[in-house]
Amino acid sequence: MIENSFNRRDFLKVLGWGGATVALSGCGNTSVEDGKEFVTSYVQTADYIIPSIGTYFNSTCAQCDAGCGIMGRVREGRVLKLEGNPKSSINNGKMCGLGQAGVQAHYNPDRIREPLLRNGDKGEAITWEKALGLINEKVGGVKAENVAFLTGGVSGHVKALLKNYLDALGSGHHYVYEAVAPSIMRAANKKAYGIEMPRLRLDKAKVIVSFGADFLGAWISPVHFSQQYARFRKADNGERGVLVQVESKMTLTGANADRWLAIRPGTEGILALGLINSLAAAGLSVPGDVAAAVKDYTADRVSKDTGVSNEHIGKLAALLKERSPSLIIAGSAAEGYAHGSQNATAIALLNQVLGNVGKTVEAPSGVPFPQMAPTPGNRFALQALNDNMAQDKVKVLFSYGANPVFTAPASMKLKENLKKVPFKVVFAHYMDETAVEADLVLPLDSALEDWATAMPEYIAEGAQLSIQQPLMEKLYPGTLGMGDILLALLKQRRPDEYKGYEDFYSYLRSAMVSNKGALGGANEDDDTFWDTALSRGVVKLVGTPVNISSNASAKGLVVPAPFVEDSAYPLHLIPAVSASLRDGRNANEPWLQESPDPLTTIVWDSWVEMHPKTAAKLGIVEGDIVEVASKSGAIKAQVYVFTGIHPDVISVPLGYGHEAMGRYAKGIGVNAFKILDPVFDKETGELAMHETRVKVTKAGQRVIIVKDEGPAGGNQMGRKIAVRMSSSKVNLSEEV
Amino acid sequence: MYCFLRLSVLLVGLIASAGSYAVNAVQPLTTADDLGPKVEQPIEFPHDRHAGDAAKGGMQINCMYCHTYARRSIVAGIPPLQKCIGCHQSIESVRETPRIKKLFEYWEAKKAVPWKKVHDLPDFVRFNHERHIQRFVFAQNKPVQEACGYCHGDVKTMTVARRQKPLSMGWCVSCHQKDHPVDATSTKTTHGPNDCWQCHK
Ligand code: SF4
Repeated sequence: MIENSFNRRDFLKVLGWGGATVALSGCGNTSVEDGKEFVTSYVQTADYIIPSIGTYFNSTCAQCDAGCGIMGRVREGRVLKLEGNPKSSINNGKMCGLGQAGVQAHYNPDRIREPLLRNGDKGEAITWEKALGLINEKVGGVKAENVAFLTGGVSGHVKALLKNYLDALGSGHHYVYEAVAPSIMRAANKKAYGIEMPRLRLDKAKVIVSFGADFLGAWISPVHFSQQYARFRKADNGERGVLVQVESKMTLTGANADRWLAIRPGTEGILALGLINSLAAAGLSVPGDVAAAVKDYTADRVSKDTGVSNEHIGKLAALLKERSPSLIIAGSAAEGYAHGSQNATAIALLNQVLGNVGKTVEAPSGVPFPQMAPTPGNRFALQALNDNMAQDKVKVLFSYGANPVFTAPASMKLKENLKKVPFKVVFAHYMDETAVEADLVLPLDSALEDWATAMPEYIAEGAQLSIQQPLMEKLYPGTLGMGDILLALLKQRRPDEYKGYEDFYSYLRSAMVSNKGALGGANEDDDTFWDTALSRGVVKLVGTPVNISSNASAKGLVVPAPFVEDSAYPLHLIPAVSASLRDGRNANEPWLQESPDPLTTIVWDSWVEMHPKTAAKLGIVEGDIVEVASKSGAIKAQVYVFTGIHPDVISVPLGYGHEAMGRYAKGIGVNAFKILDPVFDKETGELAMHETRVKVTKAGQRVIIVKDEGPAGGNQMGRKIAVRMSSSKVNLSEEV
Repeated sequence: MYCFLRLSVLLVGLIASAGSYAVNAVQPLTTADDLGPKVEQPIEFPHDRHAGDAAKGGMQINCMYCHTYARRSIVAGIPPLQKCIGCHQSIESVRETPRIKKLFEYWEAKKAVPWKKVHDLPDFVRFNHERHIQRFVFAQNKPVQEACGYCHGDVKTMTVARRQKPLSMGWCVSCHQKDHPVDATSTKTTHGPNDCWQCHK
């Protein structure tokens, strides 16, 4: 009765009086707090450091493998914000959102703060001395061939130290693993061009045909490609480049394309060969053997196989013939199949026929220090390690920069096999899924408090050594940098060689200074050289010349016919690599969870992207919770109905669905890695990421999707911004 | 029944606010001097010895020699320990006094002295030292101690600094409303900004 009669007006009246009380108390000097807070001064400082004014220090982004140069704004000894370093030719002063979230990796409340040793189900804090002693004892107690080191892509001085440590142990088992690396494309490029990662000159191309390469979002070096793309769209001569994106699920790059072509999954190679045939028919000179090999790929057949209309194939061929040079890119969508190598080779062949090799597909610079050159990761490495673990060949396992328990498909049974390894050491920032399985967890410094050098796999100009330097003091005294740990481990094995180095910093400095001639500092004294290198954040190297060849041939190139339908599992699953979450290593940074997916605007959850036709057929509407089941497992998530996807395909983003890691990642969404089928590329043995077939059933529930899209963006309130037009009404030739 | 309830609630509110007003009414809102509490510091820094008049045994050091950031930044900052040591390592006469010994202990341990804030404005107020020092000291040629003293009082007579002015908004505004010459030679006058956002950003 009281609640009912005490209505809102009375409440406001009372609040008015109460409010007055508060306001009156505020009028005194009560809010000036004398002598309550500390004001900490510096002990020693440089003249240029002024409290409240930011100072910028250059370093290198460690959020993804692109290795952009960054500069951190540091105030009162704390890093506040990151910007791009203009001196790095990779990103020229720009950055991406994922990189921006680097400060959240650093200040993350879930970071591990001291070494933990397994005691039953719990981790017990131990000292570093004990932890390193334990490692020494364990590696000393097994045969060298039973020690294995699993890492993500490595480069620079940490790679050199790691190699020396493995050499000192006598173990050759270094497995370099990246869950979403373009490894099949690398192999195909190696065959076609003699180079795994050629330089792609988007800025020089007049037409780009990208087969599912999301180079503006998440592919290889997106910040660099975005800048090139800007020049491609607004070339110096005023000619606007045309981008055609061919893929089964729209990516951010697809959304920016002049023409987005939805292709039947896996038929990218057929389209590439069909285009060669059409080009030959249109009068482009094509070598005889190639022409003979593709003559059966008539426009009609290709159109039937790929689902791309005859008309579009014709326009595309005309466009490519008219505008040269062009650039054809094989992205993750093309290479994700059991015949991924063939798809990628067919695309390389198309580039070659169009005469792009040497023009828009260029040779990169060779790296002058091979011991520091990047070792990019692939998925095959994890399979090899997994097999060895299953056969009890691994007794001591180190894991650094990888979270295989999260990224391995369930069918690999990696977690079970890991249990067979008697001693597992995991270097980690968070208690992620792999760290939880470890016997010893060693907490790493964040990338903003650690020393390192990096040579990214994709370097835009010349060769470059990027320097990662601490932007502030360590937050926790109990963490250590990877370089420092490796140095300590090496001191156990090769004391004479390494005892002179107090820490990784002194090692790094002396290694660089003693090589200053080759690092462009021949005429400088040691201190000047070192200080210049740190203040620039990058050291430009004189690259060695590399030759690019046009080896792609039609010989032995068989692109299989399109899939036969599987009635039990009628849909193809595309595990999407999103610009923010990638393979999920950064999922515990809340900015990334909070920033909406660029196409669906969904936040803080996974979703199943589905074409409206497919949804109608299955009686599904937006927000329905569905079960997505493959032969290898099932996940449940909300449906988002979206026209930017082929009707035969559904897509679930990767990186969500952590079972551990931290408060912002755990329990958010579902893990699509788990249900991937064990299908492998026939040539490289890499897991074929797009080969999983699924069936979708309604799970009965329906939710309101949490997303930014709404009336304002959805129907534009009649403002007619970027008016929607059905794709059949767009005339590509007019647009060109 | 419920009418009575409403009335009682209102009355309670009234009494509570009146009580609160009475307590606050004791403190006048704007006064020239409003001595803050004594603040205990890890080292009793003698401002009088450093900045005081020579006749009274002071060294007459310019405020900005130590508080070097005040003219360049919104905060005046506390000088780095290095600055104290810079002079004191060559002042043998006081080297063994308790305070200087303590100072060197911090220095040798490379630890910052945990000073307490004496002039601590609430977080929603943004006071800019640089603007004030540039205006009064550099444009109007006012003596440094006078300019700093507008807000900090006569620090050169204090040992450990103590707040002397109310630092309330009314007090700030009372000064911002006064006209003063634009610079040392000009006859043109101006006054401090009175926009809310100057201080509340
Ligand atoms: S692309 Fe990668 S390296 Fe570059 S800023 Fe983004 S996250 Fe950092």
